[in-house]
Amino acid sequence: MADALPVVKGTLDVLVLKALSWAPMHGFEVTTWLEDRSGGALDVEDSALYQAFYRLEARNMIAAEWGVTENNRKARYYRITSSGRAHLRAQTAQWIRYAETVSDILTAPAR
Amino acid sequence: MPLVRPGVRRLFDLMLRRRDVSRRDVDAEVALHIDLRVQQLVRQGLTPVDARMEAERRFGSQKVLQSLEQQAHWRDRRMSFSEWLDSVGQDIRYALRGLRREPAFTGFAIATLALGIGANAAMFGVVDRLLVRGPDHVRDPERLVRFTATLTRSGVGEVTHATLGYVMYDNLLKSGSPIFEGYAAYTSDGQFTLGRGRESRQIAGGAATADFFAILGVRAARGRFFLPDEDDTSNPQPVVVLGDALWRSQFNADPAILGKTVHINGDPLTVVGIAPRGFTGVQLNRVDAWIPMSLASKNVTDNWPRAWSAQWLYVIGRLKPGISLDAAGSEANRVYQVTYDGRPTWRFARARMGATPIHFTASGTESTEVSVAKWLVGVTLVVLLIACSNVANLLLSRAIRRRAEVGVRMALGAGRKRVARLFVTESLVIATLGGLAALAVATGIAMLVRKALLTNVEWTSSPVSLRVLTVSFVVTMIVGLLVGIAPAAQAARGSLHSAIQQGRAQGRRWRAGSWPTVLQAALTACLLIGAGLFVRSLHEARTMPLGFESDRILVVNIVFAGLSDATFEQYIANRARRNEAWRQALERLQRRPDIDKAALAVGSPFGNAFGVDLFVPGFDSIPKLEGGGPFISAVSADYFATVGTRLIRGRTFLPTEGAATERITIVNETMARTLWPQQDALTKCMRISADTMPCARVVGIVEDARRSNLREAPAMQYYIPLGQEVGFGGTVLMVRPRSTPSQFAPTATQAIYEVGAIVDRVQTWPLRERIDPLLRPWKLGATIFTMGGLLALVVAALGLYSVMSYSVAQRTHEMGVRIALGAKSQTIISMIVRQGMLLAAIGVAAGILVAILAGGRLESLLFNTSPRDVTIIGTAALVLIMSAAAASFWPALRAGRVDPIRALKSD
Repeated sequence: MADALPVVKGTLDVLVLKALSWAPMHGFEVTTWLEDRSGGALDVEDSALYQAFYRLEARNMIAAEWGVTENNRKARYYRITSSGRAHLRAQTAQWIRYAETVSDILTAPAR
Repeated sequence: MPLVRPGVRRLFDLMLRRRDVSRRDVDAEVALHIDLRVQQLVRQGLTPVDARMEAERRFGSQKVLQSLEQQAHWRDRRMSFSEWLDSVGQDIRYALRGLRREPAFTGFAIATLALGIGANAAMFGVVDRLLVRGPDHVRDPERLVRFTATLTRSGVGEVTHATLGYVMYDNLLKSGSPIFEGYAAYTSDGQFTLGRGRESRQIAGGAATADFFAILGVRAARGRFFLPDEDDTSNPQPVVVLGDALWRSQFNADPAILGKTVHINGDPLTVVGIAPRGFTGVQLNRVDAWIPMSLASKNVTDNWPRAWSAQWLYVIGRLKPGISLDAAGSEANRVYQVTYDGRPTWRFARARMGATPIHFTASGTESTEVSVAKWLVGVTLVVLLIACSNVANLLLSRAIRRRAEVGVRMALGAGRKRVARLFVTESLVIATLGGLAALAVATGIAMLVRKALLTNVEWTSSPVSLRVLTVSFVVTMIVGLLVGIAPAAQAARGSLHSAIQQGRAQGRRWRAGSWPTVLQAALTACLLIGAGLFVRSLHEARTMPLGFESDRILVVNIVFAGLSDATFEQYIANRARRNEAWRQALERLQRRPDIDKAALAVGSPFGNAFGVDLFVPGFDSIPKLEGGGPFISAVSADYFATVGTRLIRGRTFLPTEGAATERITIVNETMARTLWPQQDALTKCMRISADTMPCARVVGIVEDARRSNLREAPAMQYYIPLGQEVGFGGTVLMVRPRSTPSQFAPTATQAIYEVGAIVDRVQTWPLRERIDPLLRPWKLGATIFTMGGLLALVVAALGLYSVMSYSVAQRTHEMGVRIALGAKSQTIISMIVRQGMLLAAIGVAAGILVAILAGGRLESLLFNTSPRDVTIIGTAALVLIMSAAAASFWPALRAGRVDPIRALKSD
């Protein structure tokens, strides 16, 4: 995974919200979800992910609950809250516009 | 049994163990993550050992883990706080909803607390000003002391006063004592005349030594205070510092006034500075102008800086930090004893010096206003106590009424703590609303106290200052907790099952609020008795015979246009001109139809008092009486009729009697009795001023008249015809108009200006004005005790009413049974009313007991009134018990009208 992309600062929160918008997951499930979705192209640091969880939880965008995995292990499951969903929508729209603008500039033919 | 109670441990959990909890959570979460990652890597083909190493590497170092734990901890704290905030918000909304449903209860509770808290806030403002905060702009007022002298007066014993001579200040200054930082002398309760002629006006004046301002630590707002050179005892400079209020009102706050000349007491003085706003020296009364002490004192007496014969100023000192008042007093006395340089026969030779706090009065004691104010704080606290017990009682009966609701809540899973918190939140909400309303109440009461009672204090802050607000807030929170505790405990105590059961049975066993009602009645009784005592004192003080009719008399003084008395001949000529002007003024007034009588007097009640040598045949020396004297006055013919002093025997002076006629005199009763007991004083002989003088025959005896105070020992006083006086002077005109003195004042002023150019200006004051300030302590006490007493009466009566209503509502079933069994409604009504009166009577008995025990401490504040006055105590008791009867009558009427069938069916 030498050519994996580092996650751009500030986008990890949105990615986590996106993951959780599918279903409540525990930490490792979110990691694998992100790895699967990016086809291994995104290099998410494990500790950064948990920091993102705690940050989002403190800001009331996600909520956590202790549950049990299929293998009967105790795990902390995160789910997105309604304010998290709203944030995700707004951030997604903004991110797409930003990405389009930046790539327009970068790929525009020289005059 | 655990060492620490569970509740306490939980508290520690929140603070200490919470961090462990966060850490455990993080550890578990990370462990799972790493385990799952290892499984994933093993599936991808790594050996278990390599896989674990790789998983741990990917997660990061120990430091990363620590920062994660830190973040998790922070998250937990933040979330639990916002959760708590949410639940508080919910509780408040719930409380407000509940209060809106019962507007009568809510309104009564809020109004009661508003009165209680408001009265306390207002009184705090007053005490803060009088006692706590000290005068404005004064640095560390607690380190300032006022020096006193204690003298032994024959027949009186020791007398302490703070009016001293300049010489004592001077000696202290030269002593270089190590425990004082400095000294100053001042006077600040005098009257100055600003301007000249008819445009002149009276202002409040102060005089101070140049070091006064430095010692207080105050700087002029503009310009400067005096320099030591300007306060030179031999050559004082004509300078003045104006007060801020005068500068604004009289000079339109014009900064260019600095360096200009204003006329004060007829002298042209240069304005050198403006005092900061609200600066009143070390006393609290307004001062409009400050002049150097040397300038103010130059006419006091010969050699005034070193004279022992005159005491006219206050001496203060600033202590070095950490020095006690006692040490200051003994040091001042030590300096005094070694520096006294008067004659060994003078009273001052055996005097002692001492030191008092700066807010003490001229007599070296705490002022009556301050003592009364302390009592008033007690009164308002009692009112607050009554208000609190009342509201607590209401909340308690409400809590009992809501047992069923609480039971249901508990059944639905609410913990006891949660339920108790609901009730406390509710009481805090009520207290807060009450506290807000209290600000209006406080403003009203404070305005009243300022305008009507403590008029001589310069109030610089608004009635509701930041300090008052802070105190009100604290009091409100305490009140909220206080009134909420009982209902909260009650609500949380009841077990689930019994709560629901008893809720249905209407909590019959509980007799609502007997003891709070008794307590309220007792406290109210105390307040009413206090009110009675002060009202009686005020009445006694106001109607006490003074030996003259103070309400009817206007006193007039003429200030003459600059006549130079440089030589003795000039002085004699000018005196004749002045006397002629006085005679003309008297004639002009006497001719007017709108006056009853008028007279001239040298030496008058609450004015000047004079004493001259007196020789009476048969006496080696004149006996000394406790009240001092003998005092002499020279008066014109109609004097006694004008002021209303009754003639007991003999005759008064004739208009023809004066300088040129035979020497005669009129003595007061005390003098007649003292000099010639069991004899007729008439026709006796007195030699006035010198034993070589011809005999002055006693032609009349008049009643005693007060000289300077409401309470004073009798003194000998005698009168001679105006013009026969030798060695004293200072005439005033006493006028007895047909209208009131203050209404007549402008007319008198106008009439006297017509005498001619010799009259520079005319000063008038109703004699009452000199006496009213002496009534102030009783006025203050009577007003506040009466207000507090009535407030308490209303609150307590409403409280009893609500308690009786509640009790009747609870006992509907019992009443139904009684009526069904043949009880007449009158019987029921009188039973309920009797119960109400009994509660009140028990309280009143307790209150009377307290009042009698505490009465002794009040005695010194009363005027000719015994604190155990039976009429007052009886009246207070009667008023209270009748109020109790009235308050229980309406609930009783409802009880008497219970329909037995409906009452029995409903159960």
